[in-house]
Amino acid sequence: MSLTRRGFILGATAAGASGFAGAADAYTTKFGPSAMKYFAGIGTDNGYQYRLTNWKKIKDKWRRQLVQYQSTEPIGSVVVDTSNHFLYVVFENQTALRYGVGVGRDGFRWYGRARIDRKALWPRWVPPPEMRKRQPNIPEYVDGGIDNPLGPRAMYLYRNKTDLGYRLHGTLEPWSIGSNVSSGCIRMFSEDVIDLYQRCPIGTRVLVLKHLGAPVIDESAEVDMLQPPD
Amino acid sequence: MTAMGLRTAATLTLFLVLAGCTSSGSNMTSPTEGTNAPVAGGGINTAPGSEQDFMVSVGRRTFFTQGSAALDDTARVTLDKQAQWLNQYPQWKVKLQGSADDPGTPAAQTALSQKRADAVRDYLASRGIASGRMLAKGYGREKIGEDCPEIECKSQNRRVVTNLQENPEF
Repeated sequence: MSLTRRGFILGATAAGASGFAGAADAYTTKFGPSAMKYFAGIGTDNGYQYRLTNWKKIKDKWRRQLVQYQSTEPIGSVVVDTSNHFLYVVFENQTALRYGVGVGRDGFRWYGRARIDRKALWPRWVPPPEMRKRQPNIPEYVDGGIDNPLGPRAMYLYRNKTDLGYRLHGTLEPWSIGSNVSSGCIRMFSEDVIDLYQRCPIGTRVLVLKHLGAPVIDESAEVDMLQPPD
Repeated sequence: MTAMGLRTAATLTLFLVLAGCTSSGSNMTSPTEGTNAPVAGGGINTAPGSEQDFMVSVGRRTFFTQGSAALDDTARVTLDKQAQWLNQYPQWKVKLQGSADDPGTPAAQTALSQKRADAVRDYLASRGIASGRMLAKGYGREKIGEDCPEIECKSQNRRVVTNLQENPEF
């Protein structure tokens, strides 16, 4: 998860000024005029607010759509193609529902099999210690809400009952969909992660396709904590 | 073994190794040809009120937990969206196809799948869908997908599919 530098600086200033550095309520995200063009008002969901995506600013290829999909994965599975920035839910008759996603930047890519063992509405964001070491200005946690980098939903990826640290979640930065930006998480438009949440019961298979240069997560290996989750 | 035989054996081994790589790798690498081509009626210009619109904007599946026909919060969100869409496009009728692969006899599975389909029908009715537009039917294991004892399969098979029909015979 990377916030804009502007967001960090303003967030840090706010936290410092209030004297509660690290407190979640001091954390806000400010966007400049060019960023604001990516939003189209405010939506509500389960009592929370979120910024609606301005689809006019988004390329057609990143929009949710039904496509042909040749795959041996069972129906209902999630397949993530990090090279092409697509996430698929496998449907009947060699078709799939395709979403545009943002994925891990250099050094934060991975592939392998996982399973959704936990799901949350408006999750609290708790940046891992490694991330706070890299980016000291981010707070200890941010409660669910309009400025929470995880957005309205998170689906937590596990293997063999171990939390891999990776999630499928929303984003505050719709312009980052289609690029390599995160610390390994799969980020989606708020509207899309709300939609995906409905389609993925606990137990859903997730396959992240092999990507040249990505470290493999071996089924038998220890979870690699050098790949910081976000 | 002759030199020729050795070479043949070596070639065969190499072939098997390569074939092994190919087959084990094919599921993990980027999708094959044919993927991402637009589906008829799909793409981003899906016609409002079409079956594709229902699949993309709403979703056909309602999921259940083991042994249960109760609608949880997530199921109700899905069904609220279905009801809203069906109220907007009254030309459609729906066949509500329940499935169950939960522990129990085939008769119990069929009964549970019927209860699931009935729960979906009753909820949609409470949201304004006329009962004459709906048929709820339990199929037990007949229409389940991948069959295995793990949650990966079970989670997908404990469901009701809302199947749009224009001129159903019910």
